[in-house]
Amino acid sequence: MNLALRMLDRTGLLAVIVVFWAIFVVFADGFLNRVTIFGLSRTVAVTAVIGLSQMVVLGIGQMNLAVGAIGGMIGVFTGWLMQSVGLPVWAAVIVALLFAAFVGWVNGIIITKTGINSFIVTLGMASVITGLVFILTKAEAFRDLPDAYTSFGKVPWVELGWLELSPLIFIAVAIAIVMALVYKRTTFGRWMLATGANPRAAELSGVPVNFVVQATHALSGLLAGAAGIMIVSRLGSALPSIGENWLLPSFAAPIVGGTLLSGGAVAVFGTLLGALLIESVSVGLTLMNVPSFWIQLFIGLVLLLAVLIDRARTVAVARGQRGVRQTPAGATSG
Amino acid sequence: MSTTLEAPPQTYALELRGIRKAFPGVQALDGVDLVMRPGEIHALVGENGAGKSTLLKIITGIYRPDEGTLEVDGQSRAFGSPRDSLHAGIGIVHQERNLIPKFSVAENITLEQPPVRNGQWIDRDRMRTESERWLDLLQIPIDPERSVEDLSVAQRQLVEIAKALSLESRILLLDEPTASLTPHETAVLFEILQRLRDDGVAILFVSHKLEEIFAICDRVTVLRDGKVAALDRDLRELDRDQLVTLMIGRSEHVAEFPQRDLSEAPVVLELRDVTSAAGPTDIDLALHKGEILGLYGLVGAGRTELARTIIGDVPMTSGEILVDGQSAIISDARAALERYRIGYVSENRQTEGLILSHSVLANVAMTVWSRLATWLGWIQPGAERSAVGPFIDRLQVKTPSLEQQVGNLSGGNQQKVSLSKWLAAQTAILIVDEPTVGIDVKTKHELHELIWELANQGLSILLISSDMPEMVQLADRIVVMVDRRVAGSLPNNRNYDDMSQQIMSLIHRRADPPDTPA
Amino acid sequence: MSAVALHQASSSRLQSLANKEWAWLAGIILLMSAVLTILEPNFLTQFNFYVLLRGIAVTLIVAYAQLMVLVVGQLNLSVGATGGMVAICTGGMMEVWGLPTVIAVALGLLIGVGAGLANGLLTTRTGINGFIITLATASAFTGVTIGLNDAKPWYNLPKRFVEFGQGRIGPFPYIAIVTIIVGILLWVLFERTLLGRQILAVGGNQRAAELSGIPVDRILVIVFVLSAILSSIAGIILMARLGSAQPSIGSDWLLPSFAIPIVAGIALSGGSAPVINTALAALLIALIDNGLVLTKADPYWIQFLLGLIILVAVGLNRLRAVREAKRTTAS
Repeated sequence: MNLALRMLDRTGLLAVIVVFWAIFVVFADGFLNRVTIFGLSRTVAVTAVIGLSQMVVLGIGQMNLAVGAIGGMIGVFTGWLMQSVGLPVWAAVIVALLFAAFVGWVNGIIITKTGINSFIVTLGMASVITGLVFILTKAEAFRDLPDAYTSFGKVPWVELGWLELSPLIFIAVAIAIVMALVYKRTTFGRWMLATGANPRAAELSGVPVNFVVQATHALSGLLAGAAGIMIVSRLGSALPSIGENWLLPSFAAPIVGGTLLSGGAVAVFGTLLGALLIESVSVGLTLMNVPSFWIQLFIGLVLLLAVLIDRARTVAVARGQRGVRQTPAGATSG
Repeated sequence: MSTTLEAPPQTYALELRGIRKAFPGVQALDGVDLVMRPGEIHALVGENGAGKSTLLKIITGIYRPDEGTLEVDGQSRAFGSPRDSLHAGIGIVHQERNLIPKFSVAENITLEQPPVRNGQWIDRDRMRTESERWLDLLQIPIDPERSVEDLSVAQRQLVEIAKALSLESRILLLDEPTASLTPHETAVLFEILQRLRDDGVAILFVSHKLEEIFAICDRVTVLRDGKVAALDRDLRELDRDQLVTLMIGRSEHVAEFPQRDLSEAPVVLELRDVTSAAGPTDIDLALHKGEILGLYGLVGAGRTELARTIIGDVPMTSGEILVDGQSAIISDARAALERYRIGYVSENRQTEGLILSHSVLANVAMTVWSRLATWLGWIQPGAERSAVGPFIDRLQVKTPSLEQQVGNLSGGNQQKVSLSKWLAAQTAILIVDEPTVGIDVKTKHELHELIWELANQGLSILLISSDMPEMVQLADRIVVMVDRRVAGSLPNNRNYDDMSQQIMSLIHRRADPPDTPA
Repeated sequence: MSAVALHQASSSRLQSLANKEWAWLAGIILLMSAVLTILEPNFLTQFNFYVLLRGIAVTLIVAYAQLMVLVVGQLNLSVGATGGMVAICTGGMMEVWGLPTVIAVALGLLIGVGAGLANGLLTTRTGINGFIITLATASAFTGVTIGLNDAKPWYNLPKRFVEFGQGRIGPFPYIAIVTIIVGILLWVLFERTLLGRQILAVGGNQRAAELSGIPVDRILVIVFVLSAILSSIAGIILMARLGSAQPSIGSDWLLPSFAIPIVAGIALSGGSAPVINTALAALLIALIDNGLVLTKADPYWIQFLLGLIILVAVGLNRLRAVREAKRTTAS
């Protein structure tokens, strides 16, 4: 019963994606060609990781407005490590990821120590981080990056006839699989969902709620940083403006995917599908020569619609007295 | 009982017929009638879970009935919101506190009908004078300009009563209005209620203090298990025993548990001079192995706060807690569970005990995740199920599957789930706070037997309950708390009348000095 | 302290607390002004004061737009998007349709009302957090703003309108008149009217307000509409000040809209409406901005400092609340 509903969730979203793809294949010239699909695989990968970074904090019933700021900072930081410090790619990536997790952890520390809501703390932190990045870089980008790194984001990995996929999408899927396992199979995953659904009950049941909040924000920072590193390898240069417009997709991907805003239930693969839907729509509409601002309006409407459908479904499910979506016991990731 | 009510009036002030209301898994009201005349004080009694609060919520428009009719002064009404009910002239003192903390006393009292000029402009002078009138009437020495945030619990309750009175409604509902009042404050309130009755107001008085019912009410309606056990009876024709029989549906308690003396058993939990930041002061307690130690007191006596102090949820400011004779430092609920194997079943089942949107499995397993985890916090597939399943079976939780959302279970089964959680955690000491509030009579007995059986198997239980029969039935010893201190400890001889007498005399020996807020 | 004094202190604690906040802000403002006066000769000039007030005139209304929803414990991410959309629409009506100023402004405000209704109705009818609703509508409004004239500004605005936006009497800009009127109206709303009390009650304890017969949903819709109207006013006077309807209007309002009420000490859980303190907070933040400009610091410092100020301000409020709570339990 529960499983069937979850399948419905995911197949519903899949059906919407299929409908859009059908429309674009017919009306948008060149949607199904190798360049478009390759490009799509790169953007979907980054958006999905951005979405996962927001999803983990939504799962504990909080939010992270600093996802974009952290992503931008880590992109620039990675560029600096490679270009100015001269670290090898692997070392730069590890150092940058650790730093990203640290910044996220600082968010978590401020939230748990002061008890201030996550919205305000991460809003303030985002502003502080972005301000610092621009002050320190004087708004200059790092463009002289190692080939090994930039080619990773530019050269396809899989080539099956017309189908070419970026390695970035494999990274995104790998991250999603790990996340799904964390939620399904680990104590920490259960802790996150219990904290999100009812922090008080979780605390009284021996869940170390403050630790969970801090660690989840660290994880969110880590994922935001990963998205930053991925996008720099795609762009080939570390621009300080990276992350400026991540706010909307960071919420849209997980919510369209079926993550509950109120916390306690997440949809890992749903977030991937959400990212696929959003990016397909923007690429498709662009190919149809729709001006970019109408695409923004459209994505706003898609988010609104997703939220409304989610609400209607939750209410319907509650009336039918059945389980909603995935909870820790009912297997993971709708 | 001053006035007589020989000639029944033409119409009832309030008349409900055939009210039915169901919640997932439970038929809360099953064809309930209620009638009230102008100029009478009508008691509504019944055990916890009998349906009193659901019925009140229907009268005040918070719930809509599934079936049934509601008439005010002979006119049929359907309330969609509390607003509709207020407009129909029904005032209520809710059991839950419903004041706006940041507002002043005057602003709260006049919240429903703020004095305005020209429709929009607040008239502050009249706001003050009007609220002063009601405060004076209730003899409450509070400045109406004071913020409600700064008031004591008793003062807030009085403000709430003043708020309801200020509506001057023809129908007034009072849900446990005296829960945190001193005898003097209660007497003043009763005087006013009698005056209102003489003015023709229809008053519905909900209380489980039977002395109060007999002291002030004219007629009574008894609810039991969501049905009417007695409709509109004259209280002069009933005595206390008959009323109790109507409420519980039998004349004596079913399960008679034997008397036990466990004073020789080892002490598993001892409190020495414990003072808590949340109020409890100089508490001395000793819980023996396998014992059920009752903690009785009125609302606000500090029992729940004491429980929270024991599990480290509230800091202890002085004193010492010993577990198994060893001094224990309990920093939080996690330490209580993992280091000292102490569990706390919260009185707020839905907000603090359970995760309603999660499955039965996830709820029960919550306390054992750490134990089940292997390397990197990994939990083997099926490990939860095998750890949790036996306890669900043992407590006979009625659920279609372990995947069922807890929010869809009945109150009794929810309580069983929250108990299972602590059994699965293999706690040695369990603090159970109001375990049977809002639970139907049958499940209540099951829970009593279960608690007894657990204690017999060696679990040491600290039982917090405001339900005197439950206390007398279950506890081996009863510690009475008054005003955040221990007033005395009584061995339980399981004689209800004797025990309730002893407990009440302990409470009233200390409760009499007038309430002076800090 | 004597017993009598103690008693008095506790009875008017809230009041004295509010006063403290007020005094606190005023003190910092005076201190900053003194420092700037000493360090920067250009600070005490008439023109600099005009620049300062001109900035506050807009940001204060933006802050009020956010304050409006913060009072009921909600958030509005579409303050900037609404302001931008209304400015572009109003400008377009002036340039393309040649509508007189008064009519164009009235229609512009009406569009703002529509935006607010959309936010309010979506929030109350669906029960979804206002944050996510306004995040989505903000994206939609911004789409309209940019799409209407292909991301290009309208330049041909009525002369009188622009004169009003850019004119001044000494250091005092005309547009500040609008801001002062808005501030007074808001103060009256919350201090003196039934609607204001109802809004505060909903913010203070929504459940209690509902049980006391206050039409909670209607109040929430009204709050979102008022917030949108304030955003629209800010957008329109900024357009007048700039002399053109820029599609970028509102794009950088998010941060100050939260920072100013927070510095003013608003309770994020709802129930308080510090109208006057918000004005002081706007002045304080404008002074910081002004100081950075005068000292020719990197413009990105203001973003850094605004973020820091938010964190410090909430941190201090929190600290005080904790200390307050300790004092009450101790006594």
